[in-house]
Amino acid sequence: MFEVIILVLSLIISLIIVIKAADVFVDSIVEIGLALGISEIILGVTASAVGTSLPEFGSAMIAILTGSPDVGVGCAIGANVWNIAGILGISAIFAGLITTQSQEVRRDGLMAFLTTLTITTALFLIGEITFVVGIVLIIMYVVYLWILIRAQKSSKSKDREMECCEADKNLALNKKTILMTILGLFGLAIGCRAIVYSTVELSIMASIPEVLAGILLAFGTTAPEFFTVLTSAKKGLNSLAIGTVFGSNIFNILIGLGIPSLFVTIPVEPITIYFDAPVMVFMTLLLLFLIKRGMKLTRVEGIILVASYIIYIVTRLTIFS
Amino acid sequence: MPFYGYLSFLKVSEMHEKIIVATMGEYMDEIMEYTLDIIQERKTEVIGIYVVETSTPFLTPKKVKEMMATELRDQGEEILESMRQEFQSSKHYMIKFKKLLREGDPAEEIVKAAEEEGVDLIILGTGKDFIDKRLLGSVSEKVVHSAPCNIMLIKTI
Repeated sequence: MFEVIILVLSLIISLIIVIKAADVFVDSIVEIGLALGISEIILGVTASAVGTSLPEFGSAMIAILTGSPDVGVGCAIGANVWNIAGILGISAIFAGLITTQSQEVRRDGLMAFLTTLTITTALFLIGEITFVVGIVLIIMYVVYLWILIRAQKSSKSKDREMECCEADKNLALNKKTILMTILGLFGLAIGCRAIVYSTVELSIMASIPEVLAGILLAFGTTAPEFFTVLTSAKKGLNSLAIGTVFGSNIFNILIGLGIPSLFVTIPVEPITIYFDAPVMVFMTLLLLFLIKRGMKLTRVEGIILVASYIIYIVTRLTIFS
Repeated sequence: MPFYGYLSFLKVSEMHEKIIVATMGEYMDEIMEYTLDIIQERKTEVIGIYVVETSTPFLTPKKVKEMMATELRDQGEEILESMRQEFQSSKHYMIKFKKLLREGDPAEEIVKAAEEEGVDLIILGTGKDFIDKRLLGSVSEKVVHSAPCNIMLIKTI
């Protein structure tokens, strides 16, 4: 019992460390980018896409590279299902209404769907995530990032862009920024390693499969998404709410599974191929279907999403555990 | 209909020379319409206030917090600008309009601004239905409890 308490505490503390370290890391990287003359638009788009997803990425990467690929895959897929059905559903229930624009749904929603479809098809055909699949996923992400940057550039007025570039020139690279980047990266690595260790140990003690442990771990690693989506929905910043979910889901698969597969072929459990991945596709389609009818997510639709998640997790914990 | 109704509407409205109008953008037309009804042809100073709510939970990423604040500030500027255009149009020559963009807790900032500016009346919308009030809390309810002057709540829902 004492061991379980220590592991749960270690899991919670390391999650907080990882989330805070990701914050420090992204901030410092943006500062370094600005000092090196990279456009604020490119940095802004990348930072917001990467920022909330670093805990999932770090945990998946460390899990896969340290011999617990099931935890990594479970965490990436589990995070995607939870992002849509859990986080967005709960936020819609609280906020009452989350609106969106057709342009964002066409771009980010379609990309999220294509992402889930690509990985699920690859898993059905190959049964694992190979180097070639990884390359395809990463290329897809680069293309998506390019589309995002182009859209951001066209929406910013010339004046504002000039203002930001004038300001950028004054920034210089300092030792503190470099030190914070290293500290952030160190915190991420140590924290993610502790997360994976605690998760694997707890799954052994509870006699649950590692994939399932990864799916449950996603509740913790998606904490930044949860607070971002819930807060922005409550404040009426609807684009940020839905954009964060789509952005995170795209990143979790294309980068979260794409990058580790460049180092090692990722084996995937049949239950993930034939149940979890199709559920992820279904949830993405369900969200798109609900949003498409009027470009909004109402409280009732939020309840539908949360109910879908409950059905999924109960099925997973009972029938397919 | 406003909560206070029209019972002593004309009598009360004569006392108001400085009014603060709070809005988050929703139901702005109704709120402005009632404000103009109160003012009628009298010389009045109107302060439009928008509060950027900056509070976020502990684990919200810093970049996201910054993005939220920037978006809300832009949104606030836009809302205050539309208020200015309406209140300072030629047909409302008797109104002197001032914009106020604040950051912090909306209810606290509205009350603080009302005290600092020495206004006679705060106008704001009720805004939310029963469930929303329970889930999100109500700015108008908080303002009612600590306002330094009269309040007019416009029943928007």
